Amino acid sequence: MVTPQDKEKVIPFEFIPDKASETTNIDGKDYLLMNDAFYTFYQRSLGELSPFFLAIRDEKRILGCRCTVCGLVRVPPFVTHCPFCDFAPTEPVEVGQEGNMLSTPPITYFANSLFAARAPFGRGRVILEGADTALSTMLYTTTGILVPGIIKRGTEVKVIFRDERIGEITDIFCVPTAELTPQQIAEKGLQESELSWIAPAEPEFPEASAEDIAIYQRSLKEMQSLASEMSKSKRARKAIEGWKRDIAVKTRGGEFAMYIDDGDFRIEERKLESPDFVMACADPRTLLDGLSYKGAITDAVIMKRLWISKNMEFNTIFKLDRLARFLAREKKEQAAG
Amino acid sequence: MARKVGIVGAAVTPFKGKWYEKTYYELAQMATRDALKDAAISIKDVDAVAYGIYNDIFERTCIPEHPLQAIIGMQNKPGIRITNGGATGAYTMSAAHAYVAAERYDVVLVLGVEKATDCFDFTSMSATPEVIKVIGWSGDSFFEQKIGWTASDSYAEVVLAYMDEHPGDLKPEVTAQVSSQLSEQVKTNPYAQRQFDQVTPEEVMNSRYIVYPFKELEICVYTEGAAALILAEEETAKAMARNSGKPVVWIAGVGEANEVSFAGKNHNNWGRIMSHHVAAQRAYHMAGIKNPLEEIEVVEIHDAFIQQLEISMAEMGFVPLGRADALVEEGLMMPGGKLSVNPSGGLVYCGHAVGASNIMSAWSCRNEMIDKGYRRGLVHGTGSTICQYGVVLILEQA
Ligand SMILES: [Zn+2]
Repeated sequence: MVTPQDKEKVIPFEFIPDKASETTNIDGKDYLLMNDAFYTFYQRSLGELSPFFLAIRDEKRILGCRCTVCGLVRVPPFVTHCPFCDFAPTEPVEVGQEGNMLSTPPITYFANSLFAARAPFGRGRVILEGADTALSTMLYTTTGILVPGIIKRGTEVKVIFRDERIGEITDIFCVPTAELTPQQIAEKGLQESELSWIAPAEPEFPEASAEDIAIYQRSLKEMQSLASEMSKSKRARKAIEGWKRDIAVKTRGGEFAMYIDDGDFRIEERKLESPDFVMACADPRTLLDGLSYKGAITDAVIMKRLWISKNMEFNTIFKLDRLARFLAREKKEQAAG
Repeated sequence: MARKVGIVGAAVTPFKGKWYEKTYYELAQMATRDALKDAAISIKDVDAVAYGIYNDIFERTCIPEHPLQAIIGMQNKPGIRITNGGATGAYTMSAAHAYVAAERYDVVLVLGVEKATDCFDFTSMSATPEVIKVIGWSGDSFFEQKIGWTASDSYAEVVLAYMDEHPGDLKPEVTAQVSSQLSEQVKTNPYAQRQFDQVTPEEVMNSRYIVYPFKELEICVYTEGAAALILAEEETAKAMARNSGKPVVWIAGVGEANEVSFAGKNHNNWGRIMSHHVAAQRAYHMAGIKNPLEEIEVVEIHDAFIQQLEISMAEMGFVPLGRADALVEEGLMMPGGKLSVNPSGGLVYCGHAVGASNIMSAWSCRNEMIDKGYRRGLVHGTGSTICQYGVVLILEQA
């Protein structure tokens, strides 16, 4: 029998649906939807790639391969023989743990279901010292949320090793060397626990002025009226179908609660004891603009105008953006007749 | 000497966010029935079929085409399935073309189908994260899947590398205008998933980042549907056209190229999409095209992302590299401009039913040529990590 256990599973338990089905009715006819999965387990051979992954796991070293004819150093060592040189053999070679970005890396904010908890993250290609080809790697900043501009083409980065390694590519990632001390840069096999990660703390707001309170009250009223429109809009309801969150929202002028409950969206002036997560923004109009579809709430988080207590709640932020967009669309269509 | 190959019939099913009412069996049959009707022929007249189905996991079976052989009435006839990532549909047309050109078969059905959004993420109670996850199984399985590879972030890599080289191009105001323009064009495509989803450039600019630098309204939407073409050799095609009353649209050129997925010295040409350049040059050579901007009137391009659409148009020679924004700034693809680009609305607005998408593009290109009297059109497909694959077909009317 399958039961949740402490040890991490190759398929996280929470992803597994119940054995069940449901019907949906379209134009008076019933259609069946079946909960299902398409799964296979592997004991996967890493074959000729084993030395590369073993060196990461056991020795905190990065290996490449050098062609014995043209001298090209490929990292990772993805060939045993060089296709450019009529398949001349290659030989293993160790490369450096610092390098430069081949190009500006993308940043993923909306990740697939397996990576939702890790977003936002960068993934890009780094040419390590002594290598000719680029290693694809995850990129983080120790300074909080990764925003465009921190890592660009040419930015120098260093390979960091996870504390727990099993011989997978996820055992390593990179951070900008500019965020490291000279000692850390000099250290080979630097581990994640040796870095000082800045955990973004909940912002504290100064005492509210009369104007702050007035802005808060006006914004709250507008948001409440938007929320009631959203709850009445068939289209907007779809954006938060099946979703439930109690969110505490703190602003300079006051605190309120947002409730998302399977299509229903409510805003009430009250302090939540145990919210699912906390949002904080000095100016409540940041959130009001988002809900009015004047600029994405996602972008407010990315640009640090809105703080959220759990990164994985990006998912909820996306839904709020979608809620705003769906209501705006419905209004626009109604206006057009 | 290869034989001339023409399109004598084409059809698509409606592209929808989710088809609750039909499985991929029925979608495939629908497109087949309608393409045969368009060509005014019977399935008995078809000698072979080429199936374009991208991803086994979407269809939740590993030989998804096998039941289709019975469903479309092709008992004891040849059937080949093509799967080439996003370029599946384009490669399927290319393979079918080769069969006919090489005198193996006279009439070949091209049938693309995809049911992408049955995938469902029970943690967020929505399909999209699971669809992205499934496509994520297409990344390099040793080095990239586990570090969060997605189609979006791999295309973003290419776009950002281009932007590193050409910082003044792909301006957000311009990509927003391209997206807005496509949303206007989709109005006339009744089969599109987003036929009535018109957006202003401001709305595009205000939409949220999904993967930097892509915003939500600059990205194709995953969809479900099927598309079919009937290809025939010259004499058969002419006879069929006389019967159906629809002129033959000839496939005058085909080119394809696959880049390598690793980058660095001697690997890939980072900042370029060389596969699209090479594929276009091959197709132009075969069709005798010297100046694409002067000789081609309609383009149905695979717009997985608006920024990639712009770069691909440059790689195919319509605008200079580094000046792709000329598509808008010089009005090339705007109303009254020299080129009609994605009159179907493209994959961003018509939808991306992967195996069917490029075939939908060919359907639209052929229809536009017949309706508007264009002499030449271009159909483009791309796929795999970092736009690795490129396919270009040139369509021509006498
Ligand atoms: Zn060599």
